[in-house]
Amino acid sequence: MYTWPHWLPLVVLTPLLGAALTPIVSLRTRHVAPWWALGMMTVTSVAAGMLILRVALEGPFSYLPGGWVRPYGIELRFDEFSASISVICLIGWLAVLYSFRYTEWLREVPKQRIPYYYALLLLNLGGMIGFVVTGDLFNLFVFLEILSLSGYALVAVSGEHIAEMAAFKYLLMGAISSLIVLFSVGILFGITGSLNMADVASRLGDTGSVAPAALALGMLTVGFMVKAALFPVHIWLPDAHSIAPSPISAVLSGLVVKLGILGMLRLYQIYYTSGIIDLFVLNQILVWLGAISIIMGAFFAVFQDDIKLMLAYSTISNIGYIVMGLGLFTNFSIIGGSVHVFNHAIIKATLFFAAGAMIYRTGYRTLSDLRGIGSSMPLTSIAISIGAISIVGIPPTAGFLCKWYIALGAFEANQPFFGFVLIFGALLIFVYYIRMVNAFYFQAPVRQEVVDATEAPASMLYPTLLLAALCLIMGVLGRIPLAFIEPAVQRLLTPLGG
Amino acid sequence: MKKALVAALLIIISIPMLIAVAAMPPHGDADSPVHTHVSARYIEHGEEEAGAENLVTGVLLNYRGLDTAGEVIVIFTALMAAFAVLITHPGRGEESGPTTAALDPEPGTEPESDSKAPPPISPVVSFMVRLLTPFTTLFAIYVILNGHVTPGGGFQGGAILGGMFIALTIVLGEDKVRTLLPRRAAPWMQGAAVFAFVAIGVIGAATTGYFLGYPTDASLHLVRELMMVVIEIGIGLGGAAIFATIFLQMEAE
Amino acid sequence: MLEALWNNVDYVASVVLFCIGLYIIIAKNNLIKKFLGLNIMETAVFAFIIALGVVDDGSPPIMGEGASGPFASPIPHALVLTGIVVAVSTTALALSLIIRIYRQCGTIEADELREME
Repeated sequence: MYTWPHWLPLVVLTPLLGAALTPIVSLRTRHVAPWWALGMMTVTSVAAGMLILRVALEGPFSYLPGGWVRPYGIELRFDEFSASISVICLIGWLAVLYSFRYTEWLREVPKQRIPYYYALLLLNLGGMIGFVVTGDLFNLFVFLEILSLSGYALVAVSGEHIAEMAAFKYLLMGAISSLIVLFSVGILFGITGSLNMADVASRLGDTGSVAPAALALGMLTVGFMVKAALFPVHIWLPDAHSIAPSPISAVLSGLVVKLGILGMLRLYQIYYTSGIIDLFVLNQILVWLGAISIIMGAFFAVFQDDIKLMLAYSTISNIGYIVMGLGLFTNFSIIGGSVHVFNHAIIKATLFFAAGAMIYRTGYRTLSDLRGIGSSMPLTSIAISIGAISIVGIPPTAGFLCKWYIALGAFEANQPFFGFVLIFGALLIFVYYIRMVNAFYFQAPVRQEVVDATEAPASMLYPTLLLAALCLIMGVLGRIPLAFIEPAVQRLLTPLGG
Repeated sequence: MKKALVAALLIIISIPMLIAVAAMPPHGDADSPVHTHVSARYIEHGEEEAGAENLVTGVLLNYRGLDTAGEVIVIFTALMAAFAVLITHPGRGEESGPTTAALDPEPGTEPESDSKAPPPISPVVSFMVRLLTPFTTLFAIYVILNGHVTPGGGFQGGAILGGMFIALTIVLGEDKVRTLLPRRAAPWMQGAAVFAFVAIGVIGAATTGYFLGYPTDASLHLVRELMMVVIEIGIGLGGAAIFATIFLQMEAE
Repeated sequence: MLEALWNNVDYVASVVLFCIGLYIIIAKNNLIKKFLGLNIMETAVFAFIIALGVVDDGSPPIMGEGASGPFASPIPHALVLTGIVVAVSTTALALSLIIRIYRQCGTIEADELREME
């Protein structure tokens, strides 16, 4: 069953074709669109499950569209890092479910936009899946564009002028970074004559063109850095992620920024196997930028009153953790960083879903307005508290294990300073957590809406609770993804023929 | 001051870029990796392997077909994005489905204010556009159908068709042009490129075992050519419909 | 060094164009001008990739009767065609956003918009 080869194109094409069919199925009534999107995501999730089963049992495998062998055609490659489609499918499915009621409520959204909202969400998820499974540099760019374009539009979907300005800023920076990526793909093509990642990796070492290869490495890193919102190119993120509708914030903050990280991982695979450039300098730069992002993101998060803006800044901080893990470039730190890609997606989706439910019920989005909500929306408040504990990294939640591994990596690499940066960042976030719990549970309500609020409808409450439960479960069962990622990291760290 | 600073910064950035591109393999050298690795095989065997005299089309539709499929999805994304950003009439067509209100206001039911008269157009321009329309259409169809033999293809032809459509809208006013995109058919036409690709891809998967695979047997040469033409027509039609719809949507806004 | 630059003058021109586009995006205040800067950058990248496929005294990669080599590489053409479509899509979305911003705020100057925020 799981060896059927066509699961791989199916997992990419189902959401994309589903998006193309969305306007057609919703011709008669727009109420079909959410169910249609949910159905498409279900099929995608089944396919993703099969693929992950196969990679767990058999190891990495390829699919050749058109039957052209490497490097003459495009190769779809499924390896352990590609298993992150599991979390894309999970959060995507839940985000579609969550949108059922949320989009109906958004007063500013004209109702006719709703089918296009679902079409864009499907395109975004399909683009992400394609980005993760492709083994071809130019194909990577094409999928990057699908997911970026749909992301820009989803930020602006609420129709408020602030949202449109945030979307334009996001578009401008995103488009520049896409062009930088395309330019460097061109350079790599120019010096190797190939676009297949594995083929580029094996030919790059023999070309002797060190300067162009270094430029391509630098530019690709910058391009993916913008997508991942690392300091100093994070400036688009806080506006875009806090103004977007909450399910979209969860997808953008949990998943889309992570693709920049996955892009960097692919880049490492290519450059480390070819061995053309010593990656030491790049690693040092990444570690420092990661450290600055951790502190800066956490620092800004502490001073925000707007709950979604705080979550957006905390994303920057967590991206810093992941990039620092990559930059330390030891066994432990890379494993910790890669697993944090999974875990942070789940944690951040929990937080945005819970925050969205509060905004949905009360109409307020600042901590000072939401005082005392712990008694009127107890389950949602518990979910957001669990999410916050996880993001601080207190055991036994999901956030702990990854940060522990990254810290171990820092000591392993003999750079204990960064271990302390990590702990300091966690402490800063902890301050925010205290502020939030204090506001929710220990202060008297100031708004009548907060007193009158009830729990969010089931289609919003259950996804939130499920994700909150996952935050706890991943803390206990965290060894499973660790064991899964370990062989991939081992392969990454062992150069070909070395 | 700020501008001078930016300019200085960019000059500093451009220096490593210039050093790197200077070290690239020499421009136009036939022995550079670009020409000796993958391209060499395309040029040598591309015609019989991919089934298109125009190798660019062979690469687009056959060797790197998935890229082109992604590309038509990108342009479809642009359409969805334009809808999601531009539709602003709450309440209109609330129950009769989204595309109605977005695209094709039913004549008669519209409020007076929306059916604005087309702005005055110089008779010379109007005459020239009307005169050229049949020829432009013919040329576009030629470009689409001959994409695998001569320079051209679905995107180029679709762009010509879409441009013609926009010129017609300016001259005739949008109401007349909208009849070319009937309400029920419009989403099918806009998605034509994606559907054509998926259909051919699935046929390929069923017959050759690979998604987007084409029959390689020499006796099936015509079948392969037909499959390519179907995709080209889909891309041309879909591209034209998308360009036209985005333009109409922007104008309505 | 200078000779290498001169040999690869096509690539150098692309880099220069790329930086000009970036300058316009950062330095100009009007959203449409910023966007035109982005289009210049796009053109620079496309020119760069097309230049990669050029071969001296080559002919276009179209086979058939009477065609004789050396042929230019077909891959860059296919890539740039894809790239152009991507650029068109980005342009469409950006212009849609600019239209909406202008309708709601009455201006498309970045500094005035920042004050309204």
